[in-house]
Amino acid sequence: MAVILIVEDDVFIREIAEMMIQDWGHQTLAASDVDEALLLLRSAQPIDALFTDIYLKDLVLGGCNLALQAIALRPDLRVLYTTGNTITDKMKALFIEGTRFLGKPYTENQLKKSVTELLAV
Amino acid sequence: MADIFIEKKAVSDIAASDIVETVPSALIVLDRNLNITSANRAFYQTFRTSPGETEGCLIYALGNRQWDIPALRTLLESVIPHRASVEGFEVEHDFPTIGRRTMLVNARKIFSPGDHDGSILLAIEDVSEERAARADSKRNWQLTQSIVDTVRDPLVVLENDMTIVTASKAFLTMFGVTEAETHGRRVSELGQHQWDVPALRHLMEKVLPENKPIESFEIEDNFPGLGRRVFNLNARKISQPGNHAHRMLLVFEDITDRKQRERDALSLTNEISHRIKNNLQVIVGLIAYEAKWTAAPCVQGYKTMQARIGAIAQLYDLISQTSRGRTVAVDAYLREIANAMSASLLGNMSGITIEVKGEPLEIDPDRAVPFGLLVNELATNAIKHAFPHGSGHIMLRVEQIGDQIELVVSDDGVGMKGNDLVKSPEKRGSDYVAIFVRQLGGAIVPSKQEPTGTTVRIRLPLLLVPPGSAEPVAA
Repeated sequence: MAVILIVEDDVFIREIAEMMIQDWGHQTLAASDVDEALLLLRSAQPIDALFTDIYLKDLVLGGCNLALQAIALRPDLRVLYTTGNTITDKMKALFIEGTRFLGKPYTENQLKKSVTELLAV
Repeated sequence: MADIFIEKKAVSDIAASDIVETVPSALIVLDRNLNITSANRAFYQTFRTSPGETEGCLIYALGNRQWDIPALRTLLESVIPHRASVEGFEVEHDFPTIGRRTMLVNARKIFSPGDHDGSILLAIEDVSEERAARADSKRNWQLTQSIVDTVRDPLVVLENDMTIVTASKAFLTMFGVTEAETHGRRVSELGQHQWDVPALRHLMEKVLPENKPIESFEIEDNFPGLGRRVFNLNARKISQPGNHAHRMLLVFEDITDRKQRERDALSLTNEISHRIKNNLQVIVGLIAYEAKWTAAPCVQGYKTMQARIGAIAQLYDLISQTSRGRTVAVDAYLREIANAMSASLLGNMSGITIEVKGEPLEIDPDRAVPFGLLVNELATNAIKHAFPHGSGHIMLRVEQIGDQIELVVSDDGVGMKGNDLVKSPEKRGSDYVAIFVRQLGGAIVPSKQEPTGTTVRIRLPLLLVPPGSAEPVAA
């Protein structure tokens, strides 16, 4: 079972995602913004995957920049992005190679499929 | 050797008189008293005179005194006596026989053995047409320059070698440079080399030789005294009638404000999209939470509901991607729906294909969601029920028939059996189809049951946006 860090500024969406992921037997960590997430990423806490919203609070590409810093800290980290926005070329250019994307709104099945594929890499 | 001999003999055989008669310039020889001793054929032809009227005549008296020109008198009486030769002496005069002409006169004193007084050889070239063309060109250029200066967008005219011939006042003012600082320089050398972009250089090199205009090449940079600006560059070849030289007109359109408005609009759209999708995510999350505590037979219903909410969100994205301002392109919209369904429901290994045939029709974005949900419902039904063996073909077709739009969703699957409609999920799907059709003001066209395959034909009122409101607006 894996440890997944969920970064989402909407409390309800974050907690529902946590609930779903925990139901599949994984452990979750939660952060509402880039700073909280970086605190966890800089700690000794084991983290296998980062599931982050791209638009975090008022940072349009906050999740993309977080993932770049996260990979610098933990090169083996797997990343799954999510957003309700249309994916732009600017976003794509910031995506880390080999990472995955899940558009909002996602269902339980879609999230499960994405997480399973992410952890299987 | 023989060839060389022949060539040498030929050159030596050419007499001075042959040369005189062959040259295109009019030649006359004057004695010390300025009487004409001889003239060549070109002279007689140009001035429409003959040897009889010319030879022995004082040059000023020739042809009813038409050669009594003050400038020529100055040349012959004041300049020649003190110099061995004069070149390029320009004489402009109204000749009664041939009209106003500009003549270029070259004069040289010549001495024969024993002749101490010498003679004067005058070579007269009629340069009237060349001078007129030059004057025309100058007038045209002045006209061009005055037009260039009245154009509000900064522009430059470039020579074949990409150097600047002229820059408009708007250009000089906007970039704070003088004409001297721009003339003869390449665009890439201007300012802080903001225009020195390889892609632009590549395109500019094709404008003149290949007559390939540059349309809207965008450059964003910091410009001294202007700050950050976005320019659209447009270039095209310009030619002047009768002139083989071509030049390039390069126009700099400042689109900074427009670009900012577009970015603001995009940012607002993204913000709204972010909120809508998050709200839909909350609804999907609520349903997921409810589904956890619901009895197993009801879970499928919750999942179907989640899928339909997902379809609405997806349609919302497709509308923004295929929207042309205030309208949505139906053909592109159908293709996007097909792509999205293939990706989400079929996957790469599926034997089911979805084909789209659509006329280029436009629909109102308000009607695009029920239209998309209708297509989604019909195609989903086909995917789920028409192909129990996992392979087949679905066709989405839309065309204008008179004042209606016909939407056809067909498949080559197992066909619809009569009792299918009373089964609950399919019945609900059919109910939704009926609701969307009613919402769009259309009707299902009854079609006879085929042994295989299913075709659903729906006629909808023409949903074209009225022409007055169809103008594209910035996104």
